Amino acid sequence: MTVSAETTPYPLLPLLGRGLAAGGLAGLASGLFSLLLAEPLMDRAIGLEEKRAAAASGGGHAHAAEAEELFTRGTQHLGLVVTAVVVGLALGVFFTLAYVLLYRAPRHGPASTWKRGTGLACAGFLALSLLPGLRYPANPPGVGDGGTVTERQGLWLAALVIGVLGLVLARHLYVRGERAGHGLPARQLTAAGVVVATLAALFLLPDNPDAVPVPAALLWDFRVLSLAAHVLLWTVLGTVFATLAARQARGEGVQRDPVR
Amino acid sequence: MSPHTAGTTAAPQAPSHPATVRTRDWMIVAAAAVLALIALYAVFVDNGNLVSATGGYLHEFSHDGRHLFGAPCH
Repeated sequence: MTVSAETTPYPLLPLLGRGLAAGGLAGLASGLFSLLLAEPLMDRAIGLEEKRAAAASGGGHAHAAEAEELFTRGTQHLGLVVTAVVVGLALGVFFTLAYVLLYRAPRHGPASTWKRGTGLACAGFLALSLLPGLRYPANPPGVGDGGTVTERQGLWLAALVIGVLGLVLARHLYVRGERAGHGLPARQLTAAGVVVATLAALFLLPDNPDAVPVPAALLWDFRVLSLAAHVLLWTVLGTVFATLAARQARGEGVQRDPVR
Repeated sequence: MSPHTAGTTAAPQAPSHPATVRTRDWMIVAAAAVLALIALYAVFVDNGNLVSATGGYLHEFSHDGRHLFGAPCH
C-alpha cells in the first residue's frame, strides 16, 4: 500500500473517471442552460438570415436556408446539448491530464485539492475561453462566410494556442518567483501582466474577415450568453472535479493530510 | 470513451508490478486524450472531411454548438 502510494502518486484511472464525470456534467449544464436561453436567439438570427437571403435573391426562395436543411431546427437544438456534452467530456480528459502533470506529488491534503482544481479551471477559462473569445467573439448563426471558414479556423486555433502558451508562461514565472523567494504581490502582478500581454498578442492576429449583419442588441445578447455558457462549463468542471478529487484523496487516506 | 476506461479499471488481472500498472494507466490516459482530440476536431473543426460518408451532417448537427462556443462556422 505504502509502496504503491509512493510509486503512483495519483491513482490515474479513478482520477480520469472523475474528470470524465465532471466534464460530462459541466457540458450537460452548459448545454441545457444554452438550450433554454441561447436557442431562442439563434432561432431569431436564423429567421433574419432567411429574410436577408430571400431579399437578396429577389423574393425567390432562400438559397442559404435551403443548403442548411440537412436537419430540422429541433434536431439542431438537440445537437447543441450533445455537442456541449462531447466538449465537456473531452475537456474533462485534458483537465485530468493537466492536473496530473502539474501536481504529480500530492504533498497536501484535500483543501489544496480544491484550490488546485478550481485554480486549474480558472486558468482553462482564461486560456481557452475568455482570451480567445475577446479576440474572436462568438457570432450567432447567419454570420460566417463559407468561403473564409478555413482561414477563420486557422485564426481561431492560433488564438487558442496563444491563450494556452500565455497561461503556461504566467504560471511558470509565478512558480519561479516563488522559488526565488519573491513576494506574493510581485508574483501575482507578474502573472497578471503576462495574461494582459497575451491578450495584447492576440490582437496582433488579423481580424475576423466576415461582415456581421446582425442587429446590435441581438449580437450583444448572444455574446453574453456565449460567455455565460463558457463560464458555466468551467465552473461546473472545476468544482465537481475538485470535490471528487478531494473525496478520493480522503478515501485513500493520503497520509500527509493532518488538517481534515 | 468512458466504457473503455471503466472496463479496463475493473480488470486488474493480477497484482502486477507497479511500473507495469503505471505504464498501462498512462497508455489509457493517452488513448483517452487522442479520442478527446478527435472528438473536439469532429465537433468544432470538421467541415465534412473527417469521414466522407458523414458529409455535412456532423457539421450541421453540431452547428448551434459551434456558434455558441465561438468556433468558426459557415
